[in-house]
Amino acid sequence: MLFLAFRHLISRKKQTFFILLGVTLGTMVYIFVSGMQLGLREFIIEQLVENDAHLKVSGREEWIEPPAMAEALFGPNKVVSWFVPPAGKRDEERILYPQGWIERLRRTPDVAAYSEQMVIQVIAAKGAVKSNATLVGVVPDRQRQVTIIEKYITDGRYTDIGQSGNRVVVGDGLLKKMGGRLGDTLLIGGTGSKPTPFKVAAVFHLGVQQFDDNFIYGALRDVQQLNGTPGRITHIAVRLYDVTQAASLANYLSVGAADKVQSWDQANQSFLQLFQIQDLFRIMITVGILVIAAFGIYNVLTIIVNQKRREIAILRSLGYTPREIMSLFLIQGLAIGVVGAFFGLGFGYGACRWLGIWGENFSGHFKLTISYEPSIYVTAFAMATLSSLVAGLIPAVAAGRMTPIDIIRQEG
Amino acid sequence: MSIQVTDLSKSFGDPPHKVLHEMSFEIKNGEYVSIWGRSGSGKTTLLYILSTLDSPTTGQILIDGKNPNTMSVQEIHDFRNHSIGFIFQFHYLLSELTALENILLPVRKTGEHEALQDRALEMMSLFGLKGLEHRLPSQLSGGEQQRVAIARALIRRPRYLFADEPTGNLDSKNGEIVMALLKEANQTWGTSIVLVTHERTYAQQAHRRIELIDGRLASHDAQISL
Repeated sequence: MLFLAFRHLISRKKQTFFILLGVTLGTMVYIFVSGMQLGLREFIIEQLVENDAHLKVSGREEWIEPPAMAEALFGPNKVVSWFVPPAGKRDEERILYPQGWIERLRRTPDVAAYSEQMVIQVIAAKGAVKSNATLVGVVPDRQRQVTIIEKYITDGRYTDIGQSGNRVVVGDGLLKKMGGRLGDTLLIGGTGSKPTPFKVAAVFHLGVQQFDDNFIYGALRDVQQLNGTPGRITHIAVRLYDVTQAASLANYLSVGAADKVQSWDQANQSFLQLFQIQDLFRIMITVGILVIAAFGIYNVLTIIVNQKRREIAILRSLGYTPREIMSLFLIQGLAIGVVGAFFGLGFGYGACRWLGIWGENFSGHFKLTISYEPSIYVTAFAMATLSSLVAGLIPAVAAGRMTPIDIIRQEG
Repeated sequence: MSIQVTDLSKSFGDPPHKVLHEMSFEIKNGEYVSIWGRSGSGKTTLLYILSTLDSPTTGQILIDGKNPNTMSVQEIHDFRNHSIGFIFQFHYLLSELTALENILLPVRKTGEHEALQDRALEMMSLFGLKGLEHRLPSQLSGGEQQRVAIARALIRRPRYLFADEPTGNLDSKNGEIVMALLKEANQTWGTSIVLVTHERTYAQQAHRRIELIDGRLASHDAQISL
């Protein structure tokens, strides 16, 4: 029946072309939108995962509770009435037993590397310009094993932070805001500590505004000294051999721990929810386009089946079975789906390549990430083919059910 | 090898309206039979029952000793493909296929279209269609289209050829050509022919004539010995 099916398609060039165009467009849009969205997602995840940590141990946040305060101030079993009840966060965030965690992480086989961090909120100033910032104190050699921030250094060298010496690596957004550049000195002061001069030893650009406009990296010892808390750490950043195990390991390490353990995905739930909305949006657009294309196939095949009633009658009288008649029309729907999907894959890939090149030229050193994940192409192909098959099925079954005598009688 | 019809009747609708009344006759192998009668006499209905396209309401039909109503879907379609040829009043050619491809349509089903291409070309030559092999039906005259339809019906050299008013849409010259081709098929290949016509002159060209009046067998000539 292949021969006849293709002859049918070829003989109706215009109709075939327009249905093919619908399937091609549907497939192409899916690939293009998916490539862009998943590329952006891969980029964001890379920033989140590779520049921060696969999982992070941090001091548990403790909150002031009036009963506990009453007991601490007035002794047990006292009834205290507050005019203004005490509230707010208790003390600073810190890991109580860092050495215990380090021992535990060393013994955990999934852990590839770890790095102690001291994270504090500071005010950075250059001349009269001041800006809030997050200062991360790190041990540079260990931090290099946990994140790939070194890859995003645009000026200077990451290792110039050293073990101490008040040198920092600053996000380019923050530096730009302050009118600074490599080699300049910034005055950095924490809450309750006096501003201390730090030299800009390197500049990074991650492409994530949250980091580029706010973050400063310095030596752990310098940050501890600035904060007046020598030996204290607030976080331990951990890198795993397998990032997909982050959430389950975080849950495992949390059991019975006084400190908070969070995997990168647990810490960035809002991003993941955004991805889910993106997925839904992408699927809705594509399903919409493919449904329109499928309706096109359905309508055209239904019209053709009605137009070809006499041919169906003659084929049946020549010994072609109902199943063969059904396959004649099903093949046409499927052929449109497969060919349209292939064109869609090609054009979709081309559009992604073009966007990638355009993105690279457009924004200089920042490369727009496009995903070429094979699953996008497999899904696009499967969706186009399946929708065409389903669309072709109803008229094909109707054609298969027609009996020659009924057709001849109706046609008169 | 024959078609045996016993007490055949056919009704349509609810309440049933009988269009064929109990009739019995036999068509022998190699016989050329015409079914003749006025419009509405039930001749086309009888032809469709004889050719397995329709089934009787009561009575029985045996073709080569087999009852088509008890055959499986596959058996009945194989039987149609191998043993039966059809010619309709309208040519019913597939508009996307060339004349040659249309003729080879029955044998394409079994993948024999390449092996039987020479036979198809010979038939085209015999039917005065030489040089028209690659023309589409729309590029052929009505007479040529009907001759292509006859060649298609005969490509497999079937045992039975059923023709429903094959000259109904043709002028007298082309009608004569078609009738001559039917006669030749009967004489050359021994194909049993059942011709439905309302034209007395064409009906008389058959070996035997069955006349229908209001769905009843009015008369039929004595069976001739072949």
